[in-house]
Amino acid sequence: MKKTLFSLALILIFCSFKTDINNGIPSGENLIFVGSFNMSGLMTQLAQVTLSTEMVKTSKNSYLHLNCELATYAKWDKFFKIRDSYESYVDPNTLKPSLYKRSIDEGGWTKKEKYAFKGNSVTSTSKRKNTPEETRTFNVGSSSLDVVSLMYKLRTMDIAKMKTGESKSFVAVFDEKQIPVSIKLLGTETVSAGNLGSKNCYKLSIGAKTDVLKGKDKNLIYLTADIKKVPVLMKFSIPVGTGQLTLISATGI
Amino acid sequence: MRKLFLIIATVLSIISVIFSVLPLGTLALAPIGMALLFIFLAFKKSDAVQRKFTKILFIVTYICALVILGKTFLIKDKVAVDTKFEQQKVESKKEDLKDLEGL
Repeated sequence: MKKTLFSLALILIFCSFKTDINNGIPSGENLIFVGSFNMSGLMTQLAQVTLSTEMVKTSKNSYLHLNCELATYAKWDKFFKIRDSYESYVDPNTLKPSLYKRSIDEGGWTKKEKYAFKGNSVTSTSKRKNTPEETRTFNVGSSSLDVVSLMYKLRTMDIAKMKTGESKSFVAVFDEKQIPVSIKLLGTETVSAGNLGSKNCYKLSIGAKTDVLKGKDKNLIYLTADIKKVPVLMKFSIPVGTGQLTLISATGI
Repeated sequence: MRKLFLIIATVLSIISVIFSVLPLGTLALAPIGMALLFIFLAFKKSDAVQRKFTKILFIVTYICALVILGKTFLIKDKVAVDTKFEQQKVESKKEDLKDLEGL
């Protein structure tokens, strides 16, 4: 009897470890957003943005592959075709990145970047259209993240314990530089979340010391105020204008 | 004044037609709305015998509005299947796994 109880306890302990894996980011998750851009005061739907996760294995380790893809709708392809992808291979438990890749193809202009994280050192290779490949090595902090893993890291924060107006700091590596990023809780709001229906969401403001993001509290991310913390709406303000990503479909969450 | 309204209405109607043909979505409603306003003003300033052209402009702009609303509500936006992009993704993943093995 004791042995049976002991075995049961062991199974339960292992099961509890399994649910903690990925810090709540499941493998096989697929989130589809509509990307709209403000054109003359009207939000115009331009592209589809897909966020997906997948577990990959090498001979030594397992990684969670975080993939963010942007593709313009067919009707826009003739005028300005965009096929961008941002990928990160992270530790499934800590979301610490090992490999980050960025591939941009915007109207024929291309850029490819790859960051290999090894300890506190990052080896980056970048190649723009018609230019030779450049390789650099630079140091980063132990808690530095790439932009993709940062987005998922937000979902692992214990936002319920944060007070409105409270901020948390992160460091993101972007364009071969370390950028301090602050995340501020602005409160909660009910937001339409595609196939998930209307959801009460945490409203977070993203601030970064970079020219890429403009305005104060103009870059917002809405995460469902539940254990899954699914991003349902992202509003952004960049030098060329404003836009938003609206969740239309969430599967495997 | 009638001439000015008529010229603005005509220009805006032409822009409405161009925007309706291009995949600009609801953005085309901006020139359409303005065109309708100037068509109305030109219509009001015209005598009964001068109203034929404003009526034609109204019909054209009205059709543009119908086309835009039809495209917005009836045609679903889709991403084209891009075999080259898909192939690149497959090759990129193989390369990533090699890189991860080396880390």
